[in-house]
Formats: sequence, structure tokens, C-alpha cells
Amino acid sequence: MFERRILGSLERPIERVTVMQGQALVSNDATIEFSTVLGSCVASCLYDPEARVGGMNHFLLSEPPAGLAATTTIDEHYGVYLMELLVNQMLGMGARKSRLRAHLYGGANVNRNMMRIGTANAEFAQAFLKREGIMVMREDLGGTSARRVDFRPASGQIRCRTVEDRLAPPVKPTTRPAIASGDVELF
Amino acid sequence: MTQTTRILTVDDSPSMRALLNHALSTQGFEVAQAEDGLAALDWLALNEVDVVITDINMPRLDGFGLIERLREGTRHRDRPILVLTTESSDEKKARAREAGATGWIVKPFDAAKLVAAVRRVTH
Repeated sequence: MFERRILGSLERPIERVTVMQGQALVSNDATIEFSTVLGSCVASCLYDPEARVGGMNHFLLSEPPAGLAATTTIDEHYGVYLMELLVNQMLGMGARKSRLRAHLYGGANVNRNMMRIGTANAEFAQAFLKREGIMVMREDLGGTSARRVDFRPASGQIRCRTVEDRLAPPVKPTTRPAIASGDVELF
Repeated sequence: MTQTTRILTVDDSPSMRALLNHALSTQGFEVAQAEDGLAALDWLALNEVDVVITDINMPRLDGFGLIERLREGTRHRDRPILVLTTESSDEKKARAREAGATGWIVKPFDAAKLVAAVRRVTH
């Protein structure tokens, strides 16, 4: 009975969901495939093989906001927040941080003017995962070509291939929202 | 002589703890770190602190559990506890308030607002 239900669900066609810049999506549905096209942007794909939950984010961090004591070339503070959102969504679906496995893609030098920021974003993602103790299984970062990444979150299957640069939409780095950031409410 | 304000930050993310440590220690606060609620309780059993800043989603003992455990005894009944979280739901905020939190701060945090909140709850 149970087996039939699973087979039934696998018979449904795969639904492709595009992960846009600034988004973090998580699923354990075997019929979902996350898909994204990256130029300078970076995508982190996280997977818990035991809970069979996966998630993908897609970001290009900007320089830190003016007025902040900038010690880095990009807004790592906002980057940590975006990564934490992805991890927390996965924990909410039964994943455990100690079981997470990561794949990193993107950060290409497609646009010469954005070369530094693409590289800096890739380095941020690598450093974040290292600090958090999340094992990187595969990374395909840098270079000069755009990439397309397809990720099935319930099985952890990932395919990354280079695509024509024109398929990677021109993007602006994501800045943290100016309003409602770090709001404090004392009870 | 003014005594340095001692803060315990509780967050399972080393990256977030590093950001908090930088934001607070550069403003003259003495900062200690714990990786979850149980580690915080262990540390607090042996050390004194003026403010606790805690995340909600953590393994072993989450932020709600930590606040409830601290409010159970007399030693930390009046200790300011600020929640710092990516959670934005009113339900979670109400739960933190009910557990005995002093304040609620939404990530990504603004260093100046965080420092102002710490100063406000310690004076």
C-alpha cells in the first residue's frame, strides 16, 4: 500500500521550480526539481541524505552598506543571514546540520566589471561552509562561463552544465533591505 | 570606575557568533559565546553575566527552552535576555515573550541598534 503510494507520486511529472536571485527554497518532494542559471551569482545546494531534504539558494552579495566599518569587500553580514535562512528552513523539515552536504556553483567572471564581486561571493560561500562544518561534496566555481544547475532536493541529484552567457540574466548585487533590518522590540 | 558589561551570545552558527563578537567587543563589551542552550546553561552555572543574547533555532536546547530554564530559578529571574533570530512570526515572538524574554531582535541585526538595546536593558 505504502509502496504503491510512493510509486504513484514518482509517476507524476517533474515540476521545475526556478530559484531566483535572493531566494532560498527547500523541499522533500520527489517530483520537484530546483533550477537556476548563474553568471557571477553563487548557488549553494544543501542536502541531508537521511532526512532526504534539499535546499538551494542563489545570491550575489553587494558591498557592505555605507557607514558600516567595512572589513570585507562584500556584505558578509547579510550573506550569513541568507545562508542561515536556508539552513533553518531545512532544519524545520527535519534535516540536521551535522548531516548536511553542500555543492557550490557559480561565481563566474562573466562580466569583467563584476569580476571581483563574483570571486568574493564564491570565497564567502566556501568560508561560510568551512566555519559551519558543512562538508562540500563538489564545487564548480569561477571561470568565465555561465552555468545552469538542476537539483532534485529529495534525492540530492545535481547536474551542472555550462550554458551560453546570454542565458544568465544580467543581475545587480542584492543589498540588504534598508527598512526593518535589525529592528528591536523591548517587551 | 565603570564596570564592563558582560554579554553571553548563544547561537549555533560560528559565523553569526563571530559577527556578534566583533559588533559587541569593538564597543567595549566583554563577550562570551555558547553554541546552544545547554552549553549556555553550563557556562552560566560557573560564570556571571549581565545580558544574554540568544538565537531561537538551535540543537539540543533551543532559545525558548533556554529562557524558560533561566527564568525557573531565582538567579537569572531578572537577567535581561534578548532574542536575536531570523524568525519573523508573531506567534514565535509571543512565545518568547511568554517564556520571559526581555526583547526581540530580527536578523540581519544592525550593530548600532543591537548595542543601543544592550545599553538600554542594562541601565
